Amino acid sequence: MKYMFSSYRPKNSFDEYFKDNVNSAREILIPLLSSLDNMGLEELNRNHSAAKKLLLRHGATFRLNDTGLKGTERILPFDPLPRIISKDDWLILEKGLKQRLEAIDLFLDDIYNSQNIINDGIIPRELIESSDGWRPQMIGFKPPLNKWCQISGLDLIRDRKGDWHVLEDNLRCPSGVAYFLENRLVMKNIFPNLFSGRIVKPIDEYPSYLLKTLQELAVWTDTPKIVLLTPGIFNSAYFEHSYLAQEMGIQLVQGHDLVCNDDYVYLKTTSGLKRVDVIYRRIDDDFLDPLNFRKDSCLGVSGLLNVFKAGHVALANAPGTGIADDKMIYSFVPKMIKYYLDEEIIIKNVETYICHYQKDQEYVLENLPKLVVKSVSEAGGYGMLIGPQSTSSEIEEFANKIRKNPRNFIAQPTLELSTVPSLCDGELYPCHVDLRPYILRGKDSWVSPGGLTRVALKKGSLVVNSSQGGGCKDTWVVGK
Amino acid sequence: MLLSRVAESLYWINRYLERAENISRFVEVSEAMSLDCPPGSAEPWLPLIDASSDRESFDKRFPEKKPDDVINFLIRDRLNPNSIISCIQLARENARQIRDVMTSEMWEQINILYWNMQEGETIWNKPRQEQLSEIRRECQLFYGITDATLSKDLSWRFSILGRLIERADKTSRILDVKYYLLLPSLDKLGGVLDELQWIALLRSAGAYQMFRKAEQNSIKPNSVARFLLLDPIFPRSVRYCLDGISNTLKMIDSAPPPENPSELECMRGLLKAKWSYIRIEDIINDGLHEAIDSLQIDLNKLNDLIQEKYFIN
Repeated sequence: MKYMFSSYRPKNSFDEYFKDNVNSAREILIPLLSSLDNMGLEELNRNHSAAKKLLLRHGATFRLNDTGLKGTERILPFDPLPRIISKDDWLILEKGLKQRLEAIDLFLDDIYNSQNIINDGIIPRELIESSDGWRPQMIGFKPPLNKWCQISGLDLIRDRKGDWHVLEDNLRCPSGVAYFLENRLVMKNIFPNLFSGRIVKPIDEYPSYLLKTLQELAVWTDTPKIVLLTPGIFNSAYFEHSYLAQEMGIQLVQGHDLVCNDDYVYLKTTSGLKRVDVIYRRIDDDFLDPLNFRKDSCLGVSGLLNVFKAGHVALANAPGTGIADDKMIYSFVPKMIKYYLDEEIIIKNVETYICHYQKDQEYVLENLPKLVVKSVSEAGGYGMLIGPQSTSSEIEEFANKIRKNPRNFIAQPTLELSTVPSLCDGELYPCHVDLRPYILRGKDSWVSPGGLTRVALKKGSLVVNSSQGGGCKDTWVVGK
Repeated sequence: MLLSRVAESLYWINRYLERAENISRFVEVSEAMSLDCPPGSAEPWLPLIDASSDRESFDKRFPEKKPDDVINFLIRDRLNPNSIISCIQLARENARQIRDVMTSEMWEQINILYWNMQEGETIWNKPRQEQLSEIRRECQLFYGITDATLSKDLSWRFSILGRLIERADKTSRILDVKYYLLLPSLDKLGGVLDELQWIALLRSAGAYQMFRKAEQNSIKPNSVARFLLLDPIFPRSVRYCLDGISNTLKMIDSAPPPENPSELECMRGLLKAKWSYIRIEDIINDGLHEAIDSLQIDLNKLNDLIQEKYFIN
C-alpha cells in the first residue's frame, strides 16, 4: 500500500508498525505512515543527516570509556522513525511502573530497617547480604520522606506477542533521559510535519518535575541549594549531566568543588564556602565518599555519607538502592508487590533462573544455547552471554564462570524484542527496540510519557546498549 | 555566587579564544605583508613565533624554519599548545566543563567552532586568508553571543577579565614584533617598506582604520606605538584593556579594604595608573621593548594573583 514501505519486510518478531506485512499497518500508525509517505525516503535520509548535525552542534555526544583513545567522542546514533505507543497502553504501563517503584521503595526501607521481608522468609538473607549493591552502612537509616529511589529508569520490552515485560530495574544512576528529551527537540526541529495533526504527549516537563522532586527532599528549608554531582567530562554520560543541570538551572559540580565541614557540605565559590542542601549525584555509591566507601575514589566527597546520615544534606538517590536493581533481586519483585501492596504485578517480569539455586543452575547449564545469561553486577551489555548467537567454546567458557561463581549469574529465555522500522544504511529495516521510561518520586510519583527507545541499529542485533552500538528513537504517546 | 572552578574555566575560555583570534591576526597580516617584501628583506615569519614566545619548541621541531612550517605550527599543529587549533580545543574542553553556566547559544558557538576545525572539514579547503578570517569571525561571534545572552553577573565579569588580559598581552606583542625584530637596523626607518609594515602591523591589531581616524598624519612609529599602547578609547589598546581589567576587578571584589589593600588590589591600581599617565615619548626614550617586557611580566603577575585569590581554594 505505502510506496515508502513497499520493500520493508517485518521480521518474525512483534513489529510495532505492521501486523504482519506492509499492507496491514496498525491502526494507530496509519496517519504517521501517510505523512512519512508524503516525505519519501530520500527526504527522510536527507533530514536524518541534518538531525545528526544538529545533535553534534548541541554537543549531544558521549565518549566511550573502553576504547582508551582520548577524544573518541560521538553522538548517540539517532533514528528518525518514531516509536508510537497508544495512550490506552500507556496508562496501563504508567500504573504498572508506579506500582513497581512503590514496592521497591518499601522494600529498600524495609531491608535497611526492620527486615520483615527476610524474617518472613520471602527473600533469603544470604542473597541480600551477598549482593554488590548491599550497603550495610545504611542499616537503621531513614532518608528524607522515607524515599530511597527518587529517580529511576526501567527497561521494558515487548515479547513476540506484543506483551510488555520489565527487563531490568535501573535504580542507581540511570542515564539516557537527556537523549529522551533531546530526541524530541530534534524531531520537532527537523521533522515538524510529522507532528502536525497529531496529539503527541509532551515530555518537556521532565526537568521541572525533577527539580521539584529534588527540592522536596530538603525538608529543612524552603530555599534549598541544589547541585548535580558529576564525575566530570570523561564520564560517558557527561552530556546528560550538564544538560540536566542547565535545564534545571542548578549548578553542575565535581567532587573537588565540594567539601564537608562540621557535619555540613559546602560549595567552594569565589566568595567562600556556601552550604548545599540537595545533591543529585550521578556517581555510583562506591565512588561517592572515600571516607565511607572506596578509599581510592577521587570523584567523591570525603565525609559526604556522614553529612547525609546526620540529615544535613539529601542525596538522590540514597546510597544503597543498588540492592534492589541486582538482577537476582529483580526476580523477587513480583513477590515484593504481593508482600508490601497485596496486589498482582501489572507489568510482568521476564522468567528468570537464579544460578545460585542448584536446580536452576542445572537447568541453565543444560540449556545455555537457548538462554541469555547476565552477570548480576554488570550493566551496559557487558558480562553477557547470548546463547543462540554464541560459539560452543564461548558457551563452555561461560559455563565455567557460572560454576565458579553461581551467585553472580542469572539466565533468561532469549526474547525476540519487538521491532520498529528504522534507517539502516539508508533503507528501512526492522530493528529491535526496548523502552526506558523514567520515574520520579518525591512527594508524588511522576512517569515520563513514553521514554527513551533504544534501538539495535545493526541488522539482526538484539543488543540496544549505546556502548554496544545501539541508537535511539523518539517515542510518542499518542491519543486523546 | 560562582564556583571557583567555573570562574577559572570562564576566564580561560576567553583567554584561549582571544589568543586564537590574535594568532589568526598575526598570520593573516604577515602573509599579506610577505607579498610586499622584496627578496632578501627581513621576512615576517619567524618574528611571529617570537611574538608567541614559542621559539624554542619551534626550532627544535622545525630546524628548516620554512614559512609553511611557521604557518602550520601556528594554525593546525596539535603539538603546539598555543596553535589556533589547540587554543580552540582547550577553550571547548573548558566550556564542556561548565556548560550549565554558559548559555546554550554560547556553548553551541564554541562547539561548532571546534567541530569545524577538525580534519576533513570544509574550512581547510578554503584559501588561507579565508580560513583565518572565518576563525576570527567565529571567535568574535562567541564574544557577541556572550555579551548578548549572558547575565552581567560574576560569570560575565570573569569572562571579560580573561579576554582583556589576553588582549592587552597580545597587542603589546604585536607591537614588539615590529619594533624589535622586523627592523633591527634603524637606518631603514622611514622607508616605503617601513610604512607598509607599520600598516600591516596596525591591520594585524585590527587597528588600521581607527588609527587613521585618530591620527590623520603619516604613519610614524611613535604615533603607532602611542595608539596601540595608550589610546583611551580604542578597544584593543593596552590602556583601554587595563582600564577594563581594573573596573572589572573592582566590580568582582566590590568592597576592597581601602586602608590595607591586597596585593591584587595594589597591582590593579598601579598598572592602571601607570598606563593612564605615562607619555609615549618617555616610553620610547626608556626603550619600547623594555616597557613591553615589563608590561608582560606585570600581566603574568596579575594573572597569578587572580588565580591565587579566586581560583584556588
